[in-house]
Amino acid sequence: MGRISEAKERVIDMKKKIYLYGFIPSEELDKASLPEHEGFDETEDIFTLPVDSITAIVSQLDPDAYTEEVIEDKINNDLDWLQKKAYHHHEILMLLNQRYTAIPLSFCTIYNNEESLLETISIQAADLLDTFKEITGKEEWNLKIFYDEKKLKKQVHENNPVIKQKQEELKELSPGKQFFERKKIDKLAAKKMEKELNDRCGKIHDELAAMAVQADIKKTLGKDATGRKDNMSWNSVYLLEDSEVEGFVAEVMKIEKKLGESGLNMEATGPWPVYHFSSLAKA
Amino acid sequence: MPSVKETIQDKEVGLIDVLDVILDKGVAIKGDLVISIAGVDLVYLDLRVLISSVETLVQSYEENNKEITSEKLDEERRAIENATGKAGKWRD
Repeated sequence: MGRISEAKERVIDMKKKIYLYGFIPSEELDKASLPEHEGFDETEDIFTLPVDSITAIVSQLDPDAYTEEVIEDKINNDLDWLQKKAYHHHEILMLLNQRYTAIPLSFCTIYNNEESLLETISIQAADLLDTFKEITGKEEWNLKIFYDEKKLKKQVHENNPVIKQKQEELKELSPGKQFFERKKIDKLAAKKMEKELNDRCGKIHDELAAMAVQADIKKTLGKDATGRKDNMSWNSVYLLEDSEVEGFVAEVMKIEKKLGESGLNMEATGPWPVYHFSSLAKA
Repeated sequence: MPSVKETIQDKEVGLIDVLDVILDKGVAIKGDLVISIAGVDLVYLDLRVLISSVETLVQSYEENNKEITSEKLDEERRAIENATGKAGKWRD
């Protein structure tokens, strides 16, 4: 049996900045210690920073190499860097999520020094402990629904009586008029399609949300972002009790099967670190 | 036998899925450094370049290639029809 080497105790350099990945309950470290892993900057490893019952998972950064300006510039202009660092952040959070009850933080949450982070932790301690309680025994799952525009358009054109009739009338027009009339029909069909998509996706969402502790609808991403040929029509996130996960996934598979060749295509991913549902900003 | 859960877990998670969650606004605590990502949408826009390089590595989109080609053809055909105002004999 291979032993995972443990993260070493770190000598903390107060001049260095601190990259914060997330928080875990300190007591969980007794059962599973933090594995050794390269930090946000390759020259530094990740390590634990305990404050009583809350432990921050962090790595150190050279203060001059990681300024707001430098990071902003990299995020916006250096895609290789963004890809590498985004995956790194995610990898650490997945590692934490598999072992502990982890509160994940947003990409590039950075403190000027250890003192500043410790202060933040003590101010927010009560909220952090509440959040641990809320997310214990739960998983976050994402659902994205994509649609084949051509297929759905065809369905709307065939099944909507108004559009069908307008298309019949089109044949009697001159080619020039046909062009403009077709544009009008396309616009109407696009509207109908949007409604149809919203209805269908909303129904799926309601079904799945009924199995979740919490559910939220997110902004859909454009084709430019996804790099896919089909369009995204739904983007949602669910917080599930561990005991509900198998059922949730089975339901996703069932709906997926039912969708078949309808032109809609579901993609569920999880479990994710609870990025979406561990917000301390209570309404 | 893998459970249904495992089969979903094994799926490749793309960079866009990761960014979609790690740039999520509703996080617990903010850091000292204020990093304004001018437009996540702008980042997203540029990702197209990146995704195509990921694609060649993962080769997960291979099967879609045929569809892309026929869609492209349709797009071009429609553009020609729009420009000439005449419908060709092929339809969508």
